[in-house]
Parts: sequence; structure tokens; C-alpha cells
Amino acid sequence: MTVRAPVIALAALLLAGCGGAPQRGVELTLSGSTLGDEGKLLAHEVARFEALHPDIHVRVQPTPDDATQRHQLYVQWLNARAGDPDVLQLDVVWTAEFAAAGWIAPLDRFHPDTAAFFPNVLSADRWAHHLYALPWYVDVGMLYWRTDLVPHAPRSFRELTAEVRLGRARGGAAVPYGFVWQGARYEGLVTVFLEYLGGFGGQIMTPDGRVLVDSPAAVAALTEMRHEIGSIAPPQVLTWHEEETRFAFQNGKAVFMRNWPYAAALMRDSAQSRVAGRFAVAPMPAGPGGHPTAALGGGELAVNAFSNAPDSAYALVAFLTAPQQVLERATAAGYYPPRPALYRDPRLRGALAVPLEEARTIIEHATARPVTPIYSQLSELLQIQLHRALTGEATPSDALHTAARQMTDLLRRTGVAALMRRGIEP
Amino acid sequence: MTDRRRAAWLLAPALGLIVLVALFPLAWTGWDSLHHHDLRMPWLGHPFVGLANYAMIAHDGRFWRALGHTALFTGVTVSVELVLGLILALALNRVFRGRGAVRATVLIPWAIPTVVAGLVWRVMFDSQAGIVNPVLVHVGILDHPIVWFVHTATAWAPIMLADIWKTTPFVALLLLAGLQTIDPALLQAAAVDGAGAWRRLWHVTLPLLRPAILVALVFRTLDAFRVFDLIYVITNGGPGTSTEPVALYTFNTLLQNLEFGYGSALSVVIFLITFALALLYIRGLGVRLSGDLR
Repeated sequence: MTVRAPVIALAALLLAGCGGAPQRGVELTLSGSTLGDEGKLLAHEVARFEALHPDIHVRVQPTPDDATQRHQLYVQWLNARAGDPDVLQLDVVWTAEFAAAGWIAPLDRFHPDTAAFFPNVLSADRWAHHLYALPWYVDVGMLYWRTDLVPHAPRSFRELTAEVRLGRARGGAAVPYGFVWQGARYEGLVTVFLEYLGGFGGQIMTPDGRVLVDSPAAVAALTEMRHEIGSIAPPQVLTWHEEETRFAFQNGKAVFMRNWPYAAALMRDSAQSRVAGRFAVAPMPAGPGGHPTAALGGGELAVNAFSNAPDSAYALVAFLTAPQQVLERATAAGYYPPRPALYRDPRLRGALAVPLEEARTIIEHATARPVTPIYSQLSELLQIQLHRALTGEATPSDALHTAARQMTDLLRRTGVAALMRRGIEP
Repeated sequence: MTDRRRAAWLLAPALGLIVLVALFPLAWTGWDSLHHHDLRMPWLGHPFVGLANYAMIAHDGRFWRALGHTALFTGVTVSVELVLGLILALALNRVFRGRGAVRATVLIPWAIPTVVAGLVWRVMFDSQAGIVNPVLVHVGILDHPIVWFVHTATAWAPIMLADIWKTTPFVALLLLAGLQTIDPALLQAAAVDGAGAWRRLWHVTLPLLRPAILVALVFRTLDAFRVFDLIYVITNGGPGTSTEPVALYTFNTLLQNLEFGYGSALSVVIFLITFALALLYIRGLGVRLSGDLR
């Protein structure tokens, strides 16, 4: 680390010396997926950006699609104060972590039009009163249901149970599963839990860092999930991620599925889906004392704090998150735009597999995961305890009390509890 | 004196290499383990914390449970592998037609990369696509298909079976080498004296095989204690963390969570435990790691 500072200084001198006018002939790197349609789309958009800014050259640096691996790479690069990639694609839950670490640059000085984004989506991009990223696309957890097996989407968990019985009776042996969701021990399980939790009126923690994961509402929510295992949900879901649930639902084996919007785009294709034209999407059901809740996910774009060309990097972020580009991502790849105004745009109609008004309502009511610099660590503690309760290794109450104790302890030990309290002070 | 000096010069590169690749990383890890060093929380800095990380390990339930899982895994797999390996070695030691081909075939599981073997076993036990459920239901051992990976007891089955399947040939090969050093005349003499097959095995073969058995035991125990790839692929430590071995916990801490300080402390503890085990074998059981098989 000590060796690097002079090297960086030297590089900066050299750049300043030979550059003449600032930012001339800038080379930017952008982390992102270069695979498939998404890769093609990104290459296309980058080419348009370069045409608008002839002095900027953008290189797309392929990074792993797996969130954990990408996160690990970023942390290693940024610890070494690497200026590449200049623009980072972040999972929404990493923003606070990277901001608190000083790895991404505040964007306030560029005065982005924050009012044009969903406020709850943007709130996850803020840390300590500054804006650190702009939303690129939005993910929300939704209930997929079979229109040929049940009459309407259930609004409560009780209704869901009744409709699973009905749907399985109608479907017979061809529909062995009722409700499938992501129950493996990973981040996805926390998002599912968040939706049940909201459905029962609970939350994971308060914005000032108090852990509420062992509240009566939380115990009720986890108890509901555990009751579903073996009755309306197959025990296999405890090893399933998004794709396993999609395969089950897409092959017509399940009446209901909880998943992200990406599944709709794939399952409308009758070449690979047996349920094309026979499914619809609705908000998740709710229990007593709560309201239908969608977990909020999505991709954000941020500027590397060590970038040599932050202004150009921000120009790229602004370009990629502008209406035309996010609309294009929606129509080409089914990504939900983070801008509410677009949900009145006729060009978006038909792109999302959900009526636009409904999609907008789901996003507006979606719940973000806790905005805290140690989200990943807290989530890991919670994942383990949720999985223990669901697999019968512990009761929901014991598991959640253990999780709450460990999470509170970690928040205190790392000094993040104090940091979060300061973070929300006006 | 000049000879000694020359010898020292000649040895220096080798010693230097050992220092560079073995002692230096070990010392570095030890030094890091005395610091708070979490890549994800740079605002906490890199302060020296003395033995605080080790004190945390002492109260870390997940670590102690992982140690228990590791001991269980090591105990079960190593004993089964020894017994099966011995049977296999005794069979292979007999003279029969096509022995060379059979010996080569037996080694196939050992030749398959662990990660590939792990994936194969995971798929076999998969609740949907796997072959194990239909077969067990068909022969009447199970009433209905079960989900192997959601209960602790059943999740261990594919892990242990995979390890036994993969490593028994290795143990057999080590023991076979030992068997071949036993002078057939001794067994013939015992037979002439009227000893049956069992008595010859107990009183002649096994005592003479002792050095080879101990070497196999050392290798396998130390190997099994550091089990990582197989469990990473088959259950990733689940359900919950109830099949998580210490190596996987350390991996998660160090490389997934990037807690370098605490992860280094965990690594040092594992190193000390394996080192103690090795010492125990060498001192306690009198294993000589060289010259045994001659």
C-alpha cells in the first residue's frame, strides 16, 4: 500500500503532463456482464455513448455474474486502491458498504435529478446524507400464479394455502408442488423472509441500527414459512435458488412461485416454457397485521473513488441510467426501469409481463434491505438461522433470537451501530 | 571447514526456498492473526489487538461445532476406509489372472478430481434428478423419496460415501505395498504349523503390516481433517451450518468475508491442531515416515 502512493502520484503527474486539456482522450472501464443479450445490449449502448463523447473510450471489463464473486473481486481491487473499473455495477445492498469504506465517490456535486427515480429505490443509494450511486434497474419479489389452475391471486397466506389445495387438485399428478420459493441458505432466502416479514408487519432492523428480527411478527412470519414446508411447499425448496424454482414452475409443476421479474421474460417464451400464456404476476400475499411486501433488489452504477476521470465516469453513469437506455434494457431484456415516469410510457407496455400500473405499485411499496455497511455479514448470520429453523434444526423463535443476538453483537463490535445512528441524524 | 562452508552454501538455496514458501507465509499469517484486519471495514483500520482474535475463537460456537463436524467426518471416513482398504488390498495381493487390470481399475475413483466426484455424488442424491431415491424406494429401503440435503443426518451420507468411495483405493494401494514386503515364507510356515486363515491374518499379516497401516492412518487423518472441496461442492456446509468443517468455515471467513485477521487466527488454530495430530502419531504411535515400507 505504501509503495503504491508514489506510483499513483507519478502516474497522475504523467497524465497531467501529457494530457494538455483535462479529460482529453480518456479511457474508462466499466464493470459488467459481457454475456448473451445483456452483453450485446451493453456494447451497443457503450458505442452510442462513445459517439456522443468522441474523446472518451469505454472498455467493458467482464466481471463474474455471481454476486458473491463479484463482490469479493471489488473488495480486493478497491482495497488496493485500484482506479479500474472507473464505473462499478453494484448490487443494491453493497452501496452503503462501499460508501462507508470510501471506495465510491459521492455524486451530489453532479446534481443528478433525484426526483426522477423511485424514492425508496434511491434511498438505498444514500449513505450519511450523500448520494453514492444511481439506480440502473429495479428488482422486486413477486408472486407468479397459474391462471389455468386458480381463479385469482391470493391476498393472504390463508387464501394461498386454500388455492394451493385447489390448484393441485385441478392439476393432478402433473402438478406435484404447490408453492415454490428460494429456501437455500443464501441471500435469496433473506429476501423471501423479508417479504413474509412485511406480510406480518415486521422488519429486520430500524434505520438507526436496532435489530428487530426476533419480534413477535418476525417469529410469526418464520413460523408461517416453516409450516409451508412439507404442506404447501416441497421440502426441496430448502436447497433451491431462483433457477430451480423457475424450472419447476416453468415445467408446469407448481401452482405458485415467488421470483424476480427476470423469470417472466423467460417463461413467456413458449419454446422453452410450458406455462407460456398460463401464468400471471401479483404482489406477494400478506398475513395478519401486515401488508403485501416485495423485497427490493436491483443494480446500481457508482463511480470508483480512485478513478482518474470521475467526471467522464459520471457522464457514463448518467447516460446509462437515462430514460432512453433504461427503457431499452426493459424492452430488450425485461429489466424494470427505476424511473416512475416511464411506467406511463406506451413503449414500455408489453415489455414487463405485468400491467404497468401494477408494476409501479409493487415497486413503490417494495421494501429495501437494511442500509448498513455490514449488510453482507448481518445477512450471513440471518441466513444461517433462517435455514436452521426451516430445516427443523431449531425453532423459529430460538433461531431468530440467536440471529438477533449475533447481529446486535456484530453491529456493536464493529462500531457500525454508532455509525448508523450518526448516519440518520439530520 | 571449507567443506562445511561449501555445504552451507549449497544448502542455502533450498533452505531459502523453504523459508520463502513455508515459514514466511506462516509467520505472516501468525502476525496478521494478532490484528484486526477486515477488508470490508477499512474505517476500523488495522490495529494490533494481541490475542483478541483467539479469545473470540474460544467463544465462537460456530467454530467449535465445525471442529466437531470435522472430527466426526474424520473418525467415520478414516475407519471405514481402513477396513475396506485392507480387504481390497488383501484381495489384490492374491495372484490371479488380470490382476494388473483390476489394480488399475480400482484406482479410477482416486484419479477423478474431487470437485468432479463431489458433483457426481450431489447429482446422484438430488431429490429430483438423482438415482439414489428411486433405487432405494424400489428395493424397499425407503417408503418415499426424501430430500437428502435438508436434514443433518442424511446430508452427511453423500459426503461420507463420496469420500470413502474416492479414498479407499488410495488406502488399499498403500496397504498393498506393505503386504508385498511380507515374506510369503512366514505365512507358509504358519500354515504348516496349523494356523488357519484368520490366525495367519491376525498373528502374522497384521502385525507385519502395522507400519503401512500407521502411514495410511497419518495421511488419511491429516487429509480428512482438512476436508474442504468435497463438502463445499456437495452441501456447502448446510443445512444451516451443520455439515460445515473447519476448513470451510475458515475459507468463508477469510476469502468470502475477507476478515483477514480473524481468518488468520482460525488458520493458525487449524495448523496447530493438525500439527499436534501429526506429532501424536509420530511420537505416540511410533510412526516412522521414512523407511517403513522397505
